[in-house]
Amino acid sequence: MKVDIESLGTFNKLAHEGAEAATASLTQMTGIDATVDVTKITLVNREEVGEELEGRNFAGVQFGFAGALEGETVLLFDAESVGTITDALMPGMDESMAESGVKEIGNIMMSGFIDGWADYLEATIDHSPPAYIEGAGSSVIPEPPTDAEYDQAFVFKSEIEWVGESVNFYIYMLPEYDPLAGLMADHAANQDDAIPIDKLGVFNQMTTQGTEKAADNVEMMTGIPTESEVSRISFAPIEDVPKQIGDDTYVGTVVEFTGVPSGFLMVLFDEQSAVNVAEALMPTESPGEGLTDQHKSAIEELGNIMTSGFVDGWANVLQTSVEHTPPKLVHDMGRSIMDPLAAQVGQHQEHAFIIDSEMKTDEIDFRSEIHALPNEQELRQALEDLRVDRADETDADVEKIFEQ
Amino acid sequence: MKVYDGSQSGQTTQAKPERVKVGIAEYEVTTDGAALTTSGLGSCIGVALHDPQANAAGLVHVMLPNAEGKEGSRAKFADTGVEALVEAMEAAGANRSSMVAKLAGGSDMLDFSANGATIGSRNATQVKETLESFSIPIEGEDVGGDHGRSLRLESVTGDLVIKSANREENRI
Repeated sequence: MKVDIESLGTFNKLAHEGAEAATASLTQMTGIDATVDVTKITLVNREEVGEELEGRNFAGVQFGFAGALEGETVLLFDAESVGTITDALMPGMDESMAESGVKEIGNIMMSGFIDGWADYLEATIDHSPPAYIEGAGSSVIPEPPTDAEYDQAFVFKSEIEWVGESVNFYIYMLPEYDPLAGLMADHAANQDDAIPIDKLGVFNQMTTQGTEKAADNVEMMTGIPTESEVSRISFAPIEDVPKQIGDDTYVGTVVEFTGVPSGFLMVLFDEQSAVNVAEALMPTESPGEGLTDQHKSAIEELGNIMTSGFVDGWANVLQTSVEHTPPKLVHDMGRSIMDPLAAQVGQHQEHAFIIDSEMKTDEIDFRSEIHALPNEQELRQALEDLRVDRADETDADVEKIFEQ
Repeated sequence: MKVYDGSQSGQTTQAKPERVKVGIAEYEVTTDGAALTTSGLGSCIGVALHDPQANAAGLVHVMLPNAEGKEGSRAKFADTGVEALVEAMEAAGANRSSMVAKLAGGSDMLDFSANGATIGSRNATQVKETLESFSIPIEGEDVGGDHGRSLRLESVTGDLVIKSANREENRI
């Protein structure tokens, strides 16, 4: 099976429109003005689906759907926003009624979401009655469909922001692999543009390896055991790329890498993590408060070796050489760091693949994100070459590829 | 595009939105005094238009200099984005002869262009050219540099408030 860029773009748009329809239903019923913030298609390791929800509680509804597409979908409200939503729906509603409020509103929103897909596909998609769900973190996400052949699942994810309130809610859709693959193939406009789907999986695992290598380098340099946590490859319109990062202030490094593929790579720390990890690197306590110049130069050094680790991981698998510029230190709002990079890539493409990974350590309060923004055409080329040069080893057996 | 003209208030008792977010490659126009905000401008530019006579204000967040037949929403590009905003302002009752403009963003941060002008500066140049073609005067600007910006347009006064990570708030 191959996915071409255009069909990914189409499916992304479809998910976005479905989310718009769901949001319009909410606005109509409650008067709450909400907008769809981000919609993306993510290819993620099965066990990592929903990791970004950790540490929060959710309530929502779950549906099964069948027909042209099969699978499970959930709509999740932040636990704190349930009261606000049900109150808007029926002022003065008793707390015990919250569940039926969520169920009612969830039902209407998700019908809009699924009907949107069916209309576009000119096909029938049936869905089961909504089931109320509540719970913590990723436990509210249904099990991704199991498929012996693939370790990854496609997840369609929309984040909807509620204007004037700092509340987000989420729609996750986890389609069964085969019907989705079939539909994507039907909607593929041009086979020349196509990326074999299993190669995307390999690429995802390369990213995991790259992150592990970067984490090893952190450990080597700081002596603190560091684990790589999440890695995923997403696909989104170029204007949604900066939204992948929050508005908080980050410290980190950015490089441009050249070769096949070329692109940009960011290593980012939240300010507190930056201070904590920099302290661990420094022989003596830094004078002064907050983030000092000494902290920043430690971060620059760390960003450099993390970048090298990550890029080496890729180059190993691709058997190409990937070079990178010296790191540029950044200390700014997350989105404004990503924005100029997205603009540079956006001069040549409408959509972008975004590679994200995270690492953390239990020993100190430290978290780091790596984001890569490769040139789409060259990424395709790299995957194509992977097939040509290493055809005997690319049946998703990444372990083997790394045994050099 | 949504126009907040108060006409949708008949159905609900909800207060009018006080703050309207404008995403990347989006624009909004208000005639009811809401603040329009946009965040995370790097090389992107926020263009604010204000018509005090019509009590209308609008904000667009553009990403790239010119459309040149490329796909994407009009608000993604400086030339078509400014054009779309002017039209939306007029649709909301504003008049281009009484509009004034302010702009912010267009930073040179993280521009790896080997040669030639950065995207940020090309965005700024294009915005100015397009405003000029509509004969809309620029009353204030905060562009360039190597830092990100977030904006709040106070639609009643037309003040544009610029926030950055490591510096003082700037009001133009």
